[in-house]
Amino acid sequence: MVLLQPDPFLNELTSMYERSTEQGSVWVTLKRSSLKSKVQNNKLKAAGDPIEYRCLIRATDGKKTISTSVGAKDHQRFQASYATILKAHMTALKKRERKDKKKATEGAGSKKARQGS
Amino acid sequence: MVYITSWDEFVDRSVQLFRADPESTRYCMKYRHCDGKLVLKVTDNRECLKFKTDQAQDAKKMEKLNNIFFTLMARGPDADVTEAAGKDQGEAQATKKGRGRKQ
Repeated sequence: MVLLQPDPFLNELTSMYERSTEQGSVWVTLKRSSLKSKVQNNKLKAAGDPIEYRCLIRATDGKKTISTSVGAKDHQRFQASYATILKAHMTALKKRERKDKKKATEGAGSKKARQGS
Repeated sequence: MVYITSWDEFVDRSVQLFRADPESTRYCMKYRHCDGKLVLKVTDNRECLKFKTDQAQDAKKMEKLNNIFFTLMARGPDADVTEAAGKDQGEAQATKKGRGRKQ
């Protein structure tokens, strides 16, 4: 499990998507974590300090796993870059075909008109 | 595995799940380019919600959901989830200001 900084993580994620175009999947998992042990957490709670949470992001292509942790300050910048990567690579999904639906409704409508007259 | 058919229901229930237990709730996404399929999973290790699709329009909705989860996880479960709406409102306010300056 490789822990990276947000920017190298995004670069690695991009190459993962590029590698899995012909076969394989890409898994991305998001989880909230403070990245500290329970003991440390309890000590912080006792002292009255707020626990700083971060968003843990893991990505794998089945063979290699990479991860990064994003705090509240960097999350908006990371989320913008992450959204760009997803948009660029998720091109295999089907686009909604409204033409087929229109043809189906027109065909049904004209048939009904003929039957009525 | 519970597959949810309605996107809005999936979003509402997963946000509810996260707010109830932010420590153990995680959001997973699996994308297969060769099959053109996208599967989303939100679980707190007790209950699991899944959503699968092959539509490009759902990828856009998923991006908004990603933003919601990023904000919830980085800022805390009490974070304002009207970020998407908030951004739109912010843009609307900016354009109004712009018109005022031009006049």
